[in-house]
Amino acid sequence: MTVTASVSAPRVTRAPVKRRIWSYWRFYLALSPFYVLFAVFGLYPMLSTIVLAFQRWDGLSARRFTGLDNFAFLIKDPTFWQALENTVVLFLMSTVPTLVLALVLAVMLQSAVRFTNVYRIAYFIPNVTSLVAMAIFFSSIFSTNFGLVNAALRSLGIPQQDWLGQPWGIKIAISTMIVWQWVGYNTLIYLAGLQAIPKEQYEAAKVDGAGAVRTFFSITLPQLRPVVLFTVVMSTIGGLQTFTEPQVMVGNSGGTGQSGMTVVLFFYRAAFLDNDYGYAAAIALSIFALVLLFTAINWRIFRGRGEDR
Amino acid sequence: MELSRRTLLGGFAAVAGGAVVGCSSGMDAGTTTKKNTATELTMWCWPGGLGKSVLDDTIAHFPDPKIKYSEIGGDFKQKLVTTFNGGTSIPDITGIKGEDIASLLPQAERFVDLKTVGADSVLGEYLEWKVKQATTLDGKVVGLPIDIGPTALFYREDIFAAGGLPSDPAKVAEQLKTWDDFFAAGVELKKANPKAPIVGDATGLYDIVVGQGTDRYISKENKFIGDQDHIRKAWDTVVKAMTLKIDGKTPSGEPDWNAGLDQGTVPAHIGAAWVALDIKSAVKTSAGKWRLAPTPSGPANFGGSFLAITKNAADPQKAFEVIKYMLSPDNEAKAFADAQIFPSTPAAYDKAQLKAADKFFGGQVPIDVFGPAAKAIPVAYQSPYDDSVAAPFHDELKTVQTGAKTSDAAWSAAVSKAKAIAKRQGVQ
Repeated sequence: MTVTASVSAPRVTRAPVKRRIWSYWRFYLALSPFYVLFAVFGLYPMLSTIVLAFQRWDGLSARRFTGLDNFAFLIKDPTFWQALENTVVLFLMSTVPTLVLALVLAVMLQSAVRFTNVYRIAYFIPNVTSLVAMAIFFSSIFSTNFGLVNAALRSLGIPQQDWLGQPWGIKIAISTMIVWQWVGYNTLIYLAGLQAIPKEQYEAAKVDGAGAVRTFFSITLPQLRPVVLFTVVMSTIGGLQTFTEPQVMVGNSGGTGQSGMTVVLFFYRAAFLDNDYGYAAAIALSIFALVLLFTAINWRIFRGRGEDR
Repeated sequence: MELSRRTLLGGFAAVAGGAVVGCSSGMDAGTTTKKNTATELTMWCWPGGLGKSVLDDTIAHFPDPKIKYSEIGGDFKQKLVTTFNGGTSIPDITGIKGEDIASLLPQAERFVDLKTVGADSVLGEYLEWKVKQATTLDGKVVGLPIDIGPTALFYREDIFAAGGLPSDPAKVAEQLKTWDDFFAAGVELKKANPKAPIVGDATGLYDIVVGQGTDRYISKENKFIGDQDHIRKAWDTVVKAMTLKIDGKTPSGEPDWNAGLDQGTVPAHIGAAWVALDIKSAVKTSAGKWRLAPTPSGPANFGGSFLAITKNAADPQKAFEVIKYMLSPDNEAKAFADAQIFPSTPAAYDKAQLKAADKFFGGQVPIDVFGPAAKAIPVAYQSPYDDSVAAPFHDELKTVQTGAKTSDAAWSAAVSKAKAIAKRQGVQ
């Protein structure tokens, strides 16, 4: 910007803009509660987490600035890498079946004639059930000697498994629970998406002689793409923050071989069990980076070619 | 003014700067000495931390200033720490759990040194090792012990008898003196009854074996000693239970454990006095068949808590009178009758409430086992970072239990992880 421009031109335009902004004060006031609350409970904690990530703090003593120490330790910490791997594996093990199942259910619900609302409610109930209560329930379903799953296996003549004592068993138990909880939610979203697809397209497909499978892959799926992107992004954010399920089912240690230790559980352990808040803040930032990365990847994959806007 | 990118960034910078200032003002929170008002004496504890009749009686006994008791649920230490940081509404008297006391000792300046308000006259009434847990290295006493958790062997008399083991408490005490004896008995029991592994969960045993020693993971000189013989011996003891295949792999408190207590697949449990409540509430049919014997290889402590006075107390002297009264041997005996809060004062062990026979244990008097155990618990220095450093050992033991790693591989992984954690915390 040159000096002359700043002297002459703005004087004319600035004043009215200012007046215009102030004349809308009532509207800003009406909007302000969200921004005030966000600043206090969203922005401030976020910023102080960033500051904290460069400090050592045990929760009570004075904070000490340590630069990149926390991050240096994080990179060398085998537990962190293990937690990262677990989180991604759990995310894939739970999100893929959840979305596939939800899509199938949604298509079935769309074509069902009777009791559709009953099914919708039934599928949605797991999503509003207390997570901790369900985690306790699931851990008894998967318990070794008296659990339901093993009772079913025994009755089929298959030897019982130590579900919550084996690394893969823990992952299966946790992802089963996530699938159970989120299928209904995604089904409802897909259902809404399905209802927005014009009927004419299906009629045209019928006239052209397309079968159910062809119709699904040529019309339903492409039309649902934005909805799928939404559910994938939401599942990514939720899945990378898995915490309650492993914490209640296998405890703060993450179970056998730490195979249920997710990044958020690792964060919880660092902050509230080891009182190493600076380190926990560094972990929290890594979760943030992870969510960003995965969301970007999803965006790339699901936005599709030719739609880059 | 138009909202350009520059002004937006400027705004963010201003907010960020504010955040930094906000943080730095929190930095010297340690020196706040804002006193509470003298009109009320506030007291915090967790649910079930104090006996109800004792509490009611204490509140009635001290009308001026009136005691205002708050039961704080959830993560107690977390809420206490948050309140300390907030700087207001800090209680005059607060409970501190046994597992948190070590990490709060470095914060001793936030609490009243009980010796300055006359604790010397009563400290002798409490178990010495327990008082030591709440004493800083330079001799400040931060808390007066509420209760302790001496361990014992809980076992099913009928299953021991059917398996050809001694079943009478006196005989069990005589024969199962060490871990080797105990494991040998387990092997014998398994021959007679393959469904009854004598060790409920070997990894749960680990903390008890470590607690039987006089050293833990970090020495008083702040040196890491978790890789030394005493820890390796505890590790090997636990691994032995696994290799002998007398490990039930059934962690206590889980649904399998609860069901197993009744069904006989968990015929024995080694745990603190308060586990009695867990067992009693879990079983339906095996009441009266349980017995108590001393812990093989000697007692350990598991749990137990303290009452402390904060620096914010308006009248520390008065607050001390209150906790002294609450935790007198008479009241400790009452609290035991109320809620199985096991007294930290040996004088209470002779009171009628503790001398009562327990039908659940077939008429055995529990204090006959727990009393001597409480007095014989070894003193070990516990560093503020003890729990963090112990975690890798627990994690890695589980990999041995499931057969994912050999004992030696898991041990070296545990030691290197623990060393890294210790080093991070400033331990040499």
